[in-house]
Amino acid sequence: MAPISWHSVDLSLDECIKCNICTSHCPVSAVTDLFPGPKYVGPQAQRFREGDQAITPDHSVDYCSGCRVCNEVCPTGVKIAEMNARARADMVAKQGLPLRNRLLGRNELLGKAGSFAPALANFAMHNPFSRFMAEKVMGIARAAPLPTWSTSGTFGDWVKRTRGQRLRSAKKVVYYHGCATMYYEPFIGKAAVAVFEHNGYEVIVPEQNCCGLPLLSNGEFGAARNYHQGNVGKLTGFARAGLPIVGTSTSCTLTLKEEAPELLDMHDEAATTLKMATYDIFEWLYELHEAGEFRTDFRSMPMKLPYHAPCQQRAHRVGKPALALMALIPDLELPESHARCCGIAGTYGYKVEKYQIAMDVGAELFDFVEAQGSDVAYTACDSETCRWQLEHGVDLPSRHPIEILAAAYGLYDLARRDLTTG
Amino acid sequence: MKKLATDILVIGGGSTGAGVAWDAALRGFRVVLVEKRDLTHGTTGRYHGLLHSGGRYAVKDPQSAIECIEENRILRRTHTHCIEDTSGFFVVTPEDEGDFPDRFQAGCATVGIPCEEVPLKEALRREPLLNPRISRVFEVPDGSADSFLATHVTVQAARQAGAQICVYHEVVGLLTEGSDGARRVTGARVRDVVTGEELVVEAMLTINASGAWAGQIAALADIPVRVIPGKGVMVAVNHRLVNTVINRCKMPADGDILVPVHTVAVIGTTDERVADPEMLNIEPWEVALMLAEGDKLVPGLSQSRILRAWAGVRPLYQENYTGDSRDATRALALLDHQQRDGVAGFLTITGGKWTTFRLMAEKTMDKACAQLGVDRPCRTAETPVPGVEQGYYWVGHRLHEVETERLQGDLVCECELVTRSMLEQAAANNPTVTLDDLRRDVRLGMGPCQGGFCTFRAAGILQELRMRTEETAPSNRAARPEEPAWSVAHMQSPRHAMHQQPATLAAGRSPLDNPNLLLRDFLQERWRGVTPVLWGRQLKQERLDELIYLGIMNIDHLPPDDDASPLTEFWQFDTTPGAGSEETT
Amino acid sequence: MLDLLIIGAGLAGLTAALRAVEAGLRVKIIAKGMGSLYWATGAIDVLGYLGGEERAVASPWERLAELDAGHPYRTLGDTRVRGAIDWFQQHIEPSGLGYRSADAHNLLTPSPAGAWRPTYLAPAGQRAGAATDDRPMVIVGFQGVRDFFPHLITRNLSAQGQVVRAALLPWSVLSEQRDRNNAQLAECVDDVHTQQRLVDALKLVVKPGERIGLPAILGRHAHAQALAHLQQGLKTDVFEIPTLPPSAPGIRLATALRQALEQRGVRVEIGMEAIGFHAEDGVIQWVETETSARPLKHRAHAFLLATGGVLGGGFNSTPAGRFWEVIFDLPLTVPQDRRQWFRPLFLDARGQPAFHGGVAVNAALQPVDATGDAIYANLWAAGSLLAHADPILERSLEGVAIASGVAAAEAVKTKSTAAVATMER
Ligand SMILES: Cc1cc2nc3c(=O)[nH]c(=O)nc-3n(C[C@H](O)[C@H](O)[C@H](O)COP(=O)(O)OP(=O)(O)OC[C@H]3O[C@@H](n4cnc5c(N)ncnc54)[C@H](O)[C@@H]3O)c2cc1C
Ligand code: SF4
Ligand code: SF4
Ligand code: SF4
Repeated sequence: MAPISWHSVDLSLDECIKCNICTSHCPVSAVTDLFPGPKYVGPQAQRFREGDQAITPDHSVDYCSGCRVCNEVCPTGVKIAEMNARARADMVAKQGLPLRNRLLGRNELLGKAGSFAPALANFAMHNPFSRFMAEKVMGIARAAPLPTWSTSGTFGDWVKRTRGQRLRSAKKVVYYHGCATMYYEPFIGKAAVAVFEHNGYEVIVPEQNCCGLPLLSNGEFGAARNYHQGNVGKLTGFARAGLPIVGTSTSCTLTLKEEAPELLDMHDEAATTLKMATYDIFEWLYELHEAGEFRTDFRSMPMKLPYHAPCQQRAHRVGKPALALMALIPDLELPESHARCCGIAGTYGYKVEKYQIAMDVGAELFDFVEAQGSDVAYTACDSETCRWQLEHGVDLPSRHPIEILAAAYGLYDLARRDLTTG
Repeated sequence: MKKLATDILVIGGGSTGAGVAWDAALRGFRVVLVEKRDLTHGTTGRYHGLLHSGGRYAVKDPQSAIECIEENRILRRTHTHCIEDTSGFFVVTPEDEGDFPDRFQAGCATVGIPCEEVPLKEALRREPLLNPRISRVFEVPDGSADSFLATHVTVQAARQAGAQICVYHEVVGLLTEGSDGARRVTGARVRDVVTGEELVVEAMLTINASGAWAGQIAALADIPVRVIPGKGVMVAVNHRLVNTVINRCKMPADGDILVPVHTVAVIGTTDERVADPEMLNIEPWEVALMLAEGDKLVPGLSQSRILRAWAGVRPLYQENYTGDSRDATRALALLDHQQRDGVAGFLTITGGKWTTFRLMAEKTMDKACAQLGVDRPCRTAETPVPGVEQGYYWVGHRLHEVETERLQGDLVCECELVTRSMLEQAAANNPTVTLDDLRRDVRLGMGPCQGGFCTFRAAGILQELRMRTEETAPSNRAARPEEPAWSVAHMQSPRHAMHQQPATLAAGRSPLDNPNLLLRDFLQERWRGVTPVLWGRQLKQERLDELIYLGIMNIDHLPPDDDASPLTEFWQFDTTPGAGSEETT
Repeated sequence: MLDLLIIGAGLAGLTAALRAVEAGLRVKIIAKGMGSLYWATGAIDVLGYLGGEERAVASPWERLAELDAGHPYRTLGDTRVRGAIDWFQQHIEPSGLGYRSADAHNLLTPSPAGAWRPTYLAPAGQRAGAATDDRPMVIVGFQGVRDFFPHLITRNLSAQGQVVRAALLPWSVLSEQRDRNNAQLAECVDDVHTQQRLVDALKLVVKPGERIGLPAILGRHAHAQALAHLQQGLKTDVFEIPTLPPSAPGIRLATALRQALEQRGVRVEIGMEAIGFHAEDGVIQWVETETSARPLKHRAHAFLLATGGVLGGGFNSTPAGRFWEVIFDLPLTVPQDRRQWFRPLFLDARGQPAFHGGVAVNAALQPVDATGDAIYANLWAAGSLLAHADPILERSLEGVAIASGVAAAEAVKTKSTAAVATMER
């Protein structure tokens, strides 16, 4: 890392009054001594790091999951999680990166690769032998909840296939689907499109890159910069035209808005225009609701749906709009999780040395769900990796709140995870 | 009254006195050093932290410059672990015009200071916060140095060579014999400021190394020595803004050097004549000036969090000089009172710089040998002090050790990464009377929270240590060491402390016995250092510290006692009318 | 639309929200981070010391009249202050934390430095440490715990006549992990196995007739259960001594209040920093908070500022001597000259002038200008940011927060009822 700069992240260390609130909430340091906690690795250690040091003085920062709980609770505004991310990037720059992290960072490539022959890829990825090998050779935890490729084509395929059936309207949104929807969960995209169209919006699905978050959280800042630059090129035009860029992956939208510009120091006009036009889908829908333009012609949904606002969503600092909108659905009971984090934190829980930590962190959430009793059919959470972890931790299917809305409009089948119209 | 006889009595436990004791002991003399408080209580503990390359004096004072560069090279060998090899830039800001840069380069060449012009782009790459409007940059072998550690290890080296070290011993009188014209100093009357006991130290030769107090000491033998105390203010920023010493390339003036020392960056200094070397109050304008000047080197410096301000007093000596203190020479002054005043057995060494303390000691002892009629060569330049094998200090050092040894759970001062065993070892291994002594030893309370959390912890830990010592060696005080072992060379290493035997406090009464006194003194000492810079974030921190000590600890309502320590006396100086800051309403 | 938006999730904001929702208002809290309850003792101080007196105030209710005329307690009057504290005690009761006063008097409990500290409502977990109790004490710490030193406490308490001794247990009784702060240790004690280990270890230490003082780590979520487990297992009283932040008793109180609010449908949004507002004709329309991209608008009929002064982040200051309130730029009574902020002694019994000033308010707790007029028609203020008090010095931190929080909520309610009445007419 460059020596401490006027970078707003570095500088925020000056705000710290050493109160240890962050450490008292950090879900990772709560379960392991391997991670000394946000205050220690953040504003405290930062004063002992220096640009040209031959040895990186500390390694424990690598155990930060990046969940940002610390930022949320810090009363003085220290950007601890980002500070940690930058320190990790420095370490990576000095010491290089294991192949595993490179792989996990390249979600998009992986996604693409698997999509050529998804069934085969799923088998290759999920059979016990290859998981065993992956753990031995690459350090990817054997039991971790890796995604499965969509076997019914990518979201892109579906968009192309159904182009003719899409709504045309003067009101338009640009949909940022991200990698997970593209390759693993195209049904999330379908549900989103259905909800947009139901509210009278035409959906534009432009060409787009991975947001680069997996690279950022593995400390590969150079590669992440290329990705973000690409997105700025591909999406800013829409933003300039006054269209909102709306995403269903809370971590992707957060990256476009804040993580990439902050961590990579990309604050030029184009990146800022994109940032200002980007919305998480529920943030955007909630604005629609406040303007009185959100349709509430919901069917009754008599069920109990434990909802976890993932840390990536909370990091947007816009409240919990998904909870507010789902609350409009008749007869839907929504117990709210106050668990700090599910533990997976992007690709954190995939790593063999961190798998158990992630499971221990997630215990808080799993316990919350289990405490809701046996008449629970689904859980809800906005983040894909979080849902996979949740399904791994408690034996229940998990849904994105946009699937819930689509279902409540009668457009979507929650069990089949597909549009009712096919 | 207790009596002690020795060859050489050294008055003053700053860098100079420590250097003289070391040099004298290595030459085979019996030595006693007396210091009225802890080592480095004086200017040495309140300096700027710069190991001069000599660049600063290359134009104005070539003789000083030569001394600096030569000593710079020597200290890097003899005191390696006390030095951080930061290197130094001399930068030309838009305000620094004229031909000074060229004269500077020429001056460095003449006196032999390696000096290279650094391309602007390269300089800004290395120090991105540097004022981008600077026009030229020269690199010289400046460094930063820890004078606390350096003085402590120098004393340890002296002690290993046989010197006896008496801290918290104040000279209250000089012994003289003979009448006018043939007088001779034969030693000093010394008071143990902790117990109040007095003792007499008889010496063949008494060396006055009391810095800015040199005039006061000489006066005890009715010798007029005029030392102009010139106060300099320094301001520390919460983190290192730069990793290279940054000097303005111009004639030395106020606020023109920024030194990265340990975890902070220090901007300084001013130069104001004051009446007494203990007058260390800081005026708002002095802080404002430092911040404004700091902004010229690193724009935005004034907006970052400021931790603390302090002042040191230069002992500027010039025979018959009355002008401005900045212009008085900073060269060392060695006064041979036999020649000058007709008083034998007494030398005064004052002035100079931390960087040249070894040289000052050498010259002093050369003169001493001549007076004593012996020929013993100086050996300090070739004799490394204990601990040099640790290599140069680097800022990540503590973090690295805490990480590799997994000592996070043992941190007592979290800001400066002081572990419990470091604290205990320091308290047991060198004479410790106040928590401020431990601050100098291990940097307790020197970080952002300025003692908010660690003052209480230190008081509690010392209380436990005392109880443990009593339990293991209950009534049998003889089982306890009479004097601390003075093993300080690795005092700043968390790893080293962790591998030591559990600490045991030395025998003898000490204010350490009263934890409440430790608390109050240290909190007041910290308050004194932060009040000049309390605003914004540091003010918020201070309010949290108040919540802790008043709201939670209720330390303003501990059982009352009348105990006082030397530190109490020191800070009470601030509140005596006329000496302290103005009373507010 | 909301009736009341509260800025600040410290004790003042949380209490005001609870009172407001009880009065039928729609309320929401936004706050930058977790508030000051995490730092304090978790007990409710109402008034501990007056005007530099060495002795603690015996009963706050006999002494309120001696405070400065502008003090929030004086503004509200004795009856309302006492009413608010009683109201709080009733409403915190369901939490099981067991807040009680000593017969409407202050009680003295040991501080971690071994001073007797006065407080008004002490939670059940702290009450057995009272000075009036004549049983001997054993203060038990854990080797290597960084914030608790039984020998220090014992030294000072015995100097004041308390029969007390110190003991240390191994750290391993608490946790296998080595690097734990107070809040994390408290989480360890949530586990019944840890509790049982504690009981077993303490049995070997405690002598008949002794009560046991421990650091305040007896559970973060399961405190009542942990306390009961220990007391039953040891057949004697156990008390906690709250020490350096983070404070488990404070966290418990904050959590209890947040749960009470959540049950009543009040959202407490943490991680939202107010950065601006918009007013028309002296009426605040909305407050904006910082987000990952665009500022977020929070509209409400009324706004309550409870950001807590210097420590809470409600005020900021510069070297030039400017001292201001950061959201609405309200005028402060702090001297605008840095030379007048501090006294030479840290422990000056009169406190530091910089901490005595704050937001001046009228009788309805609305911030006022120099002429005494409300600055905004729909803005109220409560808690440590109020002028003419130094709650840390007076040991009135929680009392001021509760009394002003309750009063501000009631004032908002009165005003909104009046507005409705006008509309109906
Ligand atoms: C503001 C400032 C910044 C400086 N920065 C630098 C720098 O960056 N680099 C550099 O090389 N130099 C620097 N110097 C110079 C350097 O600090 C001093 O030259 C050096 O520390 C002087 O050491 P000393 O031992 O002579 O004096 P001191 O350190 O003052 O030691 C004198 C000692 O005598 C003791 N004493 C006094 N009276 C009695 C008595 N009656 N009995 C017993 N003991 C007594 C005092 O307590 C004191 O400890 C700076 C000086 C100042 C003022
Ligand atoms: S919560 Fe914020 S202020 Fe407190 S220790 Fe953590 S970073 Fe520092
Ligand atoms: S980002 Fe999460 S894991 Fe990392 S320090 Fe903060 S709270 Fe802990
Ligand atoms: S996946 Fe989930 S809750 Fe989970 S780490 Fe991400 S955002 Fe946090």
